[in-house]
Amino acid sequence: MVRWLNLLKANLRKEYIELKRYMPNTIAMVITFFCIFLGMFAGIQLVGDPGSQDVNTQYVIVNYIFWFLAMMVMNSIGWEITNEAMRGTLEQLCMTPMGLWKVMITRLISTTAIYFFIIVGLLYVSMAVTGQWLNIDVIAILPILLLTLISMFGAGFMIAGISIILKQVQAFLQILQFILAGLTFVPLTVAPALAFLPFVKGVDLVRNIMIQGVTLSEITMGDFFILGFNAVFYFVIGLGFFLVCERIAMRKGLLAHY
Amino acid sequence: MEAIVEVRNIKKTYKKRKSKTYVQAVNDVSFTVNRGEILGLLGPNGAGKTTTIKMICGLLEQDSGTITINGVNNREKRLDALNNISAVLEGNRNLYWRLTVRENLEYFAGNRGRSRKEVAGRIEELLEQFHLKSKENELVNRLSRGMQQKLAIAVAMLADSEVILLDEPTLGIDVETGYEVRELLRDIVKNDQRTIIISSHDMDVIQDLCERTVIISDGKIITDDRIENLMRLFEVRSYLIRLEGSLSEKQQQLLKQKFPHHQYTEDLAQATLDVDLAKSEEIYELFDILKMEETPVDSIDRKTVNFEQIFMKIVKEAKNGALAQSS
Ligand SMILES: Nc1ncnc2c1ncn2[C@@H]1O[C@H](COP(=O)(O)OP(=O)(O)O)[C@@H](O)[C@H]1O
Ligand SMILES: [Mg+2]
Repeated sequence: MVRWLNLLKANLRKEYIELKRYMPNTIAMVITFFCIFLGMFAGIQLVGDPGSQDVNTQYVIVNYIFWFLAMMVMNSIGWEITNEAMRGTLEQLCMTPMGLWKVMITRLISTTAIYFFIIVGLLYVSMAVTGQWLNIDVIAILPILLLTLISMFGAGFMIAGISIILKQVQAFLQILQFILAGLTFVPLTVAPALAFLPFVKGVDLVRNIMIQGVTLSEITMGDFFILGFNAVFYFVIGLGFFLVCERIAMRKGLLAHY
Repeated sequence: MEAIVEVRNIKKTYKKRKSKTYVQAVNDVSFTVNRGEILGLLGPNGAGKTTTIKMICGLLEQDSGTITINGVNNREKRLDALNNISAVLEGNRNLYWRLTVRENLEYFAGNRGRSRKEVAGRIEELLEQFHLKSKENELVNRLSRGMQQKLAIAVAMLADSEVILLDEPTLGIDVETGYEVRELLRDIVKNDQRTIIISSHDMDVIQDLCERTVIISDGKIITDDRIENLMRLFEVRSYLIRLEGSLSEKQQQLLKQKFPHHQYTEDLAQATLDVDLAKSEEIYELFDILKMEETPVDSIDRKTVNFEQIFMKIVKEAKNGALAQSS
């Protein structure tokens, strides 16, 4: 347990140092995201139906905030693995007696924790710019967000696994950005079956809270069951998949992409 | 002495991505390393050294055969085995270039479950020992290749594992730092009681640091012996003979048959004959040839050979042997 904690501290510190040291990159990325949002906002103002403009804007805020979160959690682990495989440090990570998957889970937790602050900031700036103040019901949002994050970690593990065994994974990661966008933007009412994808249900519930003002007591056990099921299912599947990929990489000598 | 690393009959075949052909990189390699020993893994480029090292580190799964570290099978209990292993792999790919010297040390210790506080004292010691104290807050990408290599070895030392593997530790670094690295490694062996496996294609490094060497070529072990034994063996077998006058056609013919690899040179005053004997008894056959024409012998010297020549000879003989067997 102490070793776990030390592992988490080390990775949290590393992620934080690198983010801080490369602040211009971080800022540029956040600004890019914000510009995408402004573009969407302007689009709604120009061509949208004036009657539903407010609600549309609120949708866009929640969706793009979650898109950013999904990107940070899932896509960045893919990039990180690819970079480390190319630079050679992945092999050193594989040699820790704690196991690579533990390092990876602390990385996932660390990036999420660090980006959480940026995301909250981005949320408030977006609300201020558009003048659309959403219902930030922390007590209702938090449990849903936690369960959603667990399923995102599971999906993150799958992406990490793919990144280990495929050499040319960059193209895949680029496409993945849009898949993630699609999943956060699609409303569940259009395709109810999507509720069983890693984080769609969670985003949907948070939308209900933040836009329609739904409270925690109004969320059904059924909803929580789906969230909980997704969290366990994707995490277990994701981790299993990752371990299989690690094994394949060891058999074929793929831990160093050079 | 007690064996800490045992490698038994390991084999590894790679599949080439593009051509779909197979490369047998390691072919039935077995050796053991004793506790506190420093072993050299010597072989030309492409011999299979890196592949062997990666299998010992558990980074690559062997097709067959077993490797145990301190009695722990490194496939069945991979993570347990890793407790006793740290490694500096080939090239400059063992560190985070965007972190400082100290941050790298702390990060890798953290990845083995240790806190910064726990390792603080040890880090100070290592920074001193490796002459990196003045660079502790420097980003790794600003360091010279040699300093990066020193840091990578320090990181491996910090793991406090019993076995340290170093793949081509002096390759690509400047001569001066190369000597410093050797000096550090000698210190470690003397004072830290670690078991070290060093791979290199540079015999000079191996001769300098190791007591024993496993020579590997084309994925096979061709010899496994103490370096001083190899030196003695070949010293006895290499002769330089100075003759007064020259050898006749017939003598030269016979020499070619008996000792195909000899070298014979003659000038006005004298001739010299340079021969390696496969067995020391062969010296009598050589004398028989000289006696035929009563060629006067001026001097017979055992040639002083360096380890590099020995290495070349061993590899060449192994290749010839393999050819002879296959034909
Ligand atoms: N990942 C790989 N895929 C395919 N072939 C490889 C791979 N790594 C090494 N080889 C081949 O295996 C053989 C042994 O390589 P290696 O172990 O790196 O030798 P050394 O370290 O002694 O130079 C070489 O012929 C090399 O081309
Ligand atoms: Mg090599």
